[in-house]
Amino acid sequence: MMKNTYRNQLKNRLAKIVFLLVIIFLSTNISVLAQDKLGVIGNAKGVPTAMSEKELKTVMKGEKQRWGDGTKIVIALMKTNTPIGQNTSKRIYNMTGDELNRFWLALVFQGKTSAPTFFNSMNELESFVAQTPGAIGIVQHTSSNEGKLIAVDGKKDL
Amino acid sequence: MRITLKTKIWLTVLSVVMMFAFFILFYFPIQQEKYLLKNFNKEIQNLANTVALGVKIAITEQNFEGVQTAIDFVKGDPHLRFISILQTDTIWNDNHSSYNIKRTVFKTYPDGINIDVNQTSNDSIIVKESSFNTSLMNGSILLGFSTNEIVDSKKQIRLTSLAVSLIVFIVGILIGFWLARNISVPVLALRDAANRVGEGDLSQRVNNYSRDEIGELGVAFNRMVNDLEKAQEEIKSSNIALAKANDELQLTVENLKSTQAQLIQSEKMASLGQLTAGIAHEIQNPLNFVNNFSELSAELIQEYEASETTNEDKIEIIKDIKSNLEKIAHHGKRADRIVKGMLMHSREQKGEKIPVKINQQLEEDTTIAFHGIRAKNSSFQCEIVKDFDDKIDKVNIIPQDINRVVINLLNNAFYAVSERANNENEPNWKPTVIVSTKHLIDVISIGIEDNGTGISDEVKEKIFNPFFTTKPTGEGTGLGLSICYDIIKSHGGEIKVQSEYGKGTKFTIDLKI
Repeated sequence: MMKNTYRNQLKNRLAKIVFLLVIIFLSTNISVLAQDKLGVIGNAKGVPTAMSEKELKTVMKGEKQRWGDGTKIVIALMKTNTPIGQNTSKRIYNMTGDELNRFWLALVFQGKTSAPTFFNSMNELESFVAQTPGAIGIVQHTSSNEGKLIAVDGKKDL
Repeated sequence: MRITLKTKIWLTVLSVVMMFAFFILFYFPIQQEKYLLKNFNKEIQNLANTVALGVKIAITEQNFEGVQTAIDFVKGDPHLRFISILQTDTIWNDNHSSYNIKRTVFKTYPDGINIDVNQTSNDSIIVKESSFNTSLMNGSILLGFSTNEIVDSKKQIRLTSLAVSLIVFIVGILIGFWLARNISVPVLALRDAANRVGEGDLSQRVNNYSRDEIGELGVAFNRMVNDLEKAQEEIKSSNIALAKANDELQLTVENLKSTQAQLIQSEKMASLGQLTAGIAHEIQNPLNFVNNFSELSAELIQEYEASETTNEDKIEIIKDIKSNLEKIAHHGKRADRIVKGMLMHSREQKGEKIPVKINQQLEEDTTIAFHGIRAKNSSFQCEIVKDFDDKIDKVNIIPQDINRVVINLLNNAFYAVSERANNENEPNWKPTVIVSTKHLIDVISIGIEDNGTGISDEVKEKIFNPFFTTKPTGEGTGLGLSICYDIIKSHGGEIKVQSEYGKGTKFTIDLKI
C-alpha cells in the first residue's frame, strides 16, 4: 500500500516534470519561431506600404536606387553578428554574414550603390528608419511593431 | 684693359640677374618638380591608406560609410586610372606542410579593367598599395593614378619660372639703369669736374642732391674746390709777395755777385800786389841787361866813329854791337813777357784755351812766386826742386787762369814752409818746394809739394770752401783755393790735396789732354 502510494507520487512528480519540460520546450520553440519572423519597416516618405518579395529583394540588394516618388532608397540592417542580422542575411540575401559583408563591400567599392547602415539594436534601426526619408529596414516581427510593418506579398512577416 | 664704372655696375647687375634667372629657370623648377612628385606620391599613398582603412572598418564594423566616402573622394579625381581591392589568400598543400600566397583582384573600379596584381609605377602612372587585414579578408588596396597632373604641373612650373625669370631680368635691367644713373652718372660728372679743376677751372661745381655717399662726395668735392679756390687766391697773394721778395733777393744776389766779383778782383789784386816785388825783380834783370848792353853798344859806336879805328876793328865792333842788340832784344822780350803775364793776371776777362808750353809756364810762375815772397821777406830761404816731364809739350789751357792757380798754390807752399821755419827749431829740416809735371795716359799732372806745416784733416775738408782761411786776418781773403778749384773744374780737370799735419802738403792738378 505504502509502495503504491510512493509510486503514484513519483509518477505524479515525473508527470509534472515532464509537463514542465514540455512547457519549457514549447515556450522556447515558440520564442524561436517568433524570433525567426522578420518584418519590413519603412519611412513614411517614399517607401510604399506594400510590395512583393521580389521587389523587396531587388531593393535590399541595392539593385534599385530610388523609390517611385524619386526618394533615394536607404537600407537599414541589423549587424550580422546579431541573431536578426544573421536571420536577415539568410532570409533576405541567402548569404552568410561574411558573404553579405563581401557583397556590400563589392557594391560600395565599385560605386554601384550606397552602403546600407548597420545597427546593433532594433530600436536604433527603427528610430533611424523613422527619421530617414526613403529608409527601409528589416526588423524582427513582433506584435508591438505589427502596425508599422510593410506588407510583403500581403503578409506582414517574412 | 680698362673697365669703366658703368661697365662694372652692368656686369655686377647682369651677373646677379643671370644667377637669379638661372636659379629660377633651372634649379627652382627641378626642385619644385621633385617636391611635387614626392607630394603626389605621398598623396596617392594616403588615399590608398584611407581606402584600406575604410575597407577594414567596413568589414570589421560593418560601417561602409568610411569606405564609401574614401571611394567617392578617389573617384572624384580625374587622374584616377583604377582602384582595386586585392585579396590575399594563403593556399596550403594537401599535407598542410607548405603554402603559397595568392593575390587576386577582388574588385576594381572602374569595372571591367584588367589589373596586374604586381603592377608598379612608371612614367605614365603612379601605383600605390596599402594593405589591410581583417578576419574576413586579408588584402590590399591598389591605387593607380595618371601622371598627367604632374606633367601639367611641370609645364605650369616651367612657364611660371620663365615668366618670373623674364620679370627678374627686366627688373634687373631697370635696376642696372637706376644704378648707372644714380652711381655712374654722378661719378662721371665728378670725374669731369675734377679734370676741369685739374686744368685750372676752379669754377666747376657738381650738382648732386642725393643723400647717399655719392651726394656726400659731391658736397666734399664742392667744398674742396672752394677751399682750393681760396688757397689759390692765397697762393696768388703769396706769389705776388714772393715775386716781390724774389726781386729783392735778385737784387741782393746781383749785389752779392758784384761784391763777389769785387772780392775776386781784390784777391787777384792782392796776389798781384804780393807778386809785384818779384815781378819787379824779374823785370829788373832784363832791364839791367838792356841798360848795360845799350850803354856798351853806345860806347862801341863811339869807338867805331873814332878815326883811329881800323876797318878790321870796325868789323869786330859791328859784330859786338850786333851781339849786344840780340841780347837787348832777348832781355827786352823777356821783360815784355813778364809784363804781359802780369797784365793777364790782373785783367778781368774770360780767356780762351790756347796751346801753352806748360813746363816753361811753370818755370816762370815759380820764379815769380819765389821772388814775390822774397820781396816780402828777404830772409826767406827755400830749395825749389823742379821735376818736369820732358815728354810734355804744349797743353791747351787758359794760361792766365792756370798761372793764377799755380802761383796761388806756390804762394801757399812758400807760406807753409816759412811758417814751419818760423815756428819750429829743426836743425835738420830744410824748407823745400817741389814743382813737378808728369805725362800720364790722357792727363797732364802738375804737382806742387812742400814740406811745410801741413794741413789737419779738419781743415782739409774746408780748404776749397769760399772765404775759408787759416791765415791771420788781413793776410788772406779765403778765396784763393776756392777760385783755384773753380778754375780747374772749368778746365774739366781735378785738383786734389794730400797732406799730413806737420809734415807737408801736396796739391795735384790733373788736366785732360
